Amino acid sequence: MSNEIKTQVVVLGAGPGGYSAAFRAADLGLDVVLVESRATLGGVCLNVGCIPSKALLHVAKVIDDAKAMASHGVTFGEPQIDLDKIRGWKDSVVSQLTGGLTGMAKARKVTTVNGYGKFTGSNTIAVEGADGTTTITFDQAIVAAGSEPVSLPFIPEDPRIFDSTGALELADVPGELLVLGGGIIGLEMGTVYRALGSNVSVVEFLDQLVPAADKDVVRVYSTYNKKRFNIMLSTKVTAVEAKEDGLYVTFEGKKAPAEPVRYDKILVAVGRTPNGKKVDAEKAGVTVTDRGFIEVDNQQRTNVNNIFAIGDVVGQPMLAHKAVHEAHVAAEVISGMKHYFDPKCIPSIAYTDPEIAWVGLTEREAKEQGLNYEVAKFPWAASGRAIASARTEGMTKMIFDKDNGRVIGGAIVGINAGEMLGEIGLAIEMGADAEDIGLTIHAHPTLNESIGLACEIFEGSITDLPNAKAKKKK
Amino acid sequence: MADIIDVQVPDVGGDDVEVIELCVAVGDTVAKEDSLITVESDKASMDIPSPGAGTITQITVAIGDKINEGSVIVKLAVEQSTAPESAPEPEPQAPQKAPAQPVEQATTELEAFPPSVVGVQIVEVRVPDIGTEEEVDVIEVLVGPGDNVLQEDGLITVETDKATMDVPSPAPGLVKEVIIKNGDKVKQGSLIIMLEVCHTEEVKVVVPTSTIGTKVAEPKAKRPIDLPTTRPVPFHPMARGKTSDSVYSSPSVRRVGREFGVDMTKVSGTGRKNRILKEDVQAYVKYELSRPKATAAANISSGGGGLQLIAQPKVDFAKFGEIEKTPLTRIQKISGPNLHRNWVTIPHVTQFEEADITDVEAFRKEQNEIGKKQKLDVKITPLVFIMKALAKSLEAFPVFNSSLHEDGEHLVMKKYIHIGIAVDTPKGLVVPVVRDVNKKGIYDLSRELMELSGKAREGKLKVQEMQGGCMTISSLGGIGGTAFTPIVNAPEVAILGVSKSEIKPKWDGAAFQPRLMLPLSLSYDHRVIDGALAAKFAVHLGGIMSDIRKLIL
Repeated sequence: MSNEIKTQVVVLGAGPGGYSAAFRAADLGLDVVLVESRATLGGVCLNVGCIPSKALLHVAKVIDDAKAMASHGVTFGEPQIDLDKIRGWKDSVVSQLTGGLTGMAKARKVTTVNGYGKFTGSNTIAVEGADGTTTITFDQAIVAAGSEPVSLPFIPEDPRIFDSTGALELADVPGELLVLGGGIIGLEMGTVYRALGSNVSVVEFLDQLVPAADKDVVRVYSTYNKKRFNIMLSTKVTAVEAKEDGLYVTFEGKKAPAEPVRYDKILVAVGRTPNGKKVDAEKAGVTVTDRGFIEVDNQQRTNVNNIFAIGDVVGQPMLAHKAVHEAHVAAEVISGMKHYFDPKCIPSIAYTDPEIAWVGLTEREAKEQGLNYEVAKFPWAASGRAIASARTEGMTKMIFDKDNGRVIGGAIVGINAGEMLGEIGLAIEMGADAEDIGLTIHAHPTLNESIGLACEIFEGSITDLPNAKAKKKK
Repeated sequence: MADIIDVQVPDVGGDDVEVIELCVAVGDTVAKEDSLITVESDKASMDIPSPGAGTITQITVAIGDKINEGSVIVKLAVEQSTAPESAPEPEPQAPQKAPAQPVEQATTELEAFPPSVVGVQIVEVRVPDIGTEEEVDVIEVLVGPGDNVLQEDGLITVETDKATMDVPSPAPGLVKEVIIKNGDKVKQGSLIIMLEVCHTEEVKVVVPTSTIGTKVAEPKAKRPIDLPTTRPVPFHPMARGKTSDSVYSSPSVRRVGREFGVDMTKVSGTGRKNRILKEDVQAYVKYELSRPKATAAANISSGGGGLQLIAQPKVDFAKFGEIEKTPLTRIQKISGPNLHRNWVTIPHVTQFEEADITDVEAFRKEQNEIGKKQKLDVKITPLVFIMKALAKSLEAFPVFNSSLHEDGEHLVMKKYIHIGIAVDTPKGLVVPVVRDVNKKGIYDLSRELMELSGKAREGKLKVQEMQGGCMTISSLGGIGGTAFTPIVNAPEVAILGVSKSEIKPKWDGAAFQPRLMLPLSLSYDHRVIDGALAAKFAVHLGGIMSDIRKLIL
């Protein structure tokens, strides 16, 4: 059966970027068709990414917190893990959100077409669905095709080797789990499996976990997790041999064990690759780079005037919140607004334990750019709230432009770090300086006040710590 | 002990200038060369520097005031030791102490800066810090030997990978030698010109020596001249040299800026710590829309030029074939916005007429033959007769010799007759003005015209030689064409276009006679001149040209 649809706007992909673009365009009065290959809306983020992983991380956190209470006088019994129930709860979280999206799409009269959409020309897309091909003729298109996990060529096909999607399925709790890749995704899943009972090893090719963040920030995380994970930095996997009794992994590098090591399962989390080459964009005349990215201008327009692209497929950072903002710009530009994607910063968060969160420039970037900057760090050992929560390992680090005191970056490592990051992002966007934040009264006792206190360190008005900038009395 | 002196506006190269910024407040202490106020003429904005160090005791102008040369700006309390030579009116003081003659001598040598100048020194002018250590291309040399330049006048235009900028003169003076030529590569420290700098510091030295009969210009300055360290300025007058990263405004304000295509680095913030507010962006847009564009580029790129028009579509010409981008000349950049303003603000009507110049041409050729035999070394051109005829017509129709008063309710009637002659030069169109045409004879006018057009082609006209015109003649007769519609050179109210003369059959009542006919195109400002009057003027003018005996009536 074949079907034909004519529309003003077609959006290819219904992840956070895609559905936001579709909904925004619909709210601006345009006819919108949303094409999605998954059965549900929400893309990787809602179905097999951000959201389900947070549900499992919540489980991990409660397990760890309960255990930690033993040293403060409250002892619980060993946790009874019912994997099916955990999985069911995780799935219910996902379906609550994706179901909500389906409802909102209907309310906005956005037509959804299920199937993999590919361009057949600069005004047509063909969608191969379960019930035949749908041909969509459009005036404008927004490509929000997303990305998928990178797979490594030397790793054999084996059910015991999975990527983040497989890890979220929570088939079992392996005794020995190797996480290949010390980035955000690998560490988050490692955190979940360790809490459920796995012995987790992490192998990272670079000399630092979460390589995008500053070394001193990540060091806080690594120190705290020294006993939880077997971390092998500057080390790479050269071969994986799948045997009956396990996966035998050969390492090479600084921390490489001499002999191959046996693991029950391997999580490959070495990065994500854009899906730019999977939508036949070249048939519409859209240029796709060798690596699969689609290049766009600051209005999200590709080299073809009526085709826009947003989200992971247009470049780093591959983050849902970036995609959503790009989506709004693309939809607004299509509806005739003169809007531009013009942020000063995009936040990044690793929802690990402790969390690592940063926004704006890192100190490394400030140094590389030769900026005249100054760093102020507030150690959580001086935070009443952190001490009362028995989590004093954290740190709040602010980076200032020394010439005018303006905040150009910030990083927080510690519990709830991600929830606190918004203030720093707002400060950077608004051009706030250390004095502005320092003079903003932060509630006490909170972890959040550490941001204000870090600004007081820079200003030289800190009283909760020895003040290096205090005037010496004679 | 301190003296109070009046600081006056120096020669700013224009009639009236508007005060757009006060840089000082009462009680401020200023150093010599500190900016006191910023004024804006129709050509540029400039700072008026303090003539000496002292304390501001009174400010006598306000933002928006129209002032001109000689207006008192501020009263400055100066330490007495520096007062006499710093004061901008040394005339009443210097002659009291010194015999008049030597002072006069000095001023004649440096005619462009007569009042305060009594000492000279040759200084090397080098390329200042231009923000890059790379060599940059010199794309235009704006001055030639013998030119008088004011402080901040562009000397050369250089092009970096970021911008095109003029390197300004660090001081007023006379260009003695130009070291650099077009296409040269320069960097910070490269020698541009040798500048003969005039300065007031020498009064002290001059006065005693001249009393004992020494020549005035001889004593060389002992003190090095305090050349201000000026950075080159990009062409846009509002540019601040900020990068977009350092723009201090919130996302919503940046979005408003983007919507209007505002370069946020050019907006000054009025919020706390100079934060750019939404109102600042709106004010900037309003200002940009209301003001005449300072550069041709701004004009062309905005497309509207103050009118609410849609922008020109951007065209990628390279798609259609090979192209090359060349910069507008300095004159084009300056004259373009003025021409545009005149074209859109003046309701133009063009009256066409033909003048029978058979007789005057015969007479002219005859006189040139005689002149050659007598070795008069002057050649009469048809243009001189047109000038004379125009002057005569202006006397007969005085409304043509007027300008609209800025109050919109009066005409300014001129009792003098100065005629501008549009001259095509390699760098663009310039209009030197011949003074008192009605009082001068054909030979005098011919000589003056030759001299002025020569200067114009060499780019050596002084500002004063291009001011004060009553009406302009634009002659394309030497090139061809039957008629054209010239643009009135405001504040003048009419312009005479001259095309190529041609022999045509004219009916004399009995037979067709071959007559040499000169096409005239008279464009005029219809707000001032009625159509009937213009037709009469054209006929009158043509009549004189047909029979130049009418000139003596």
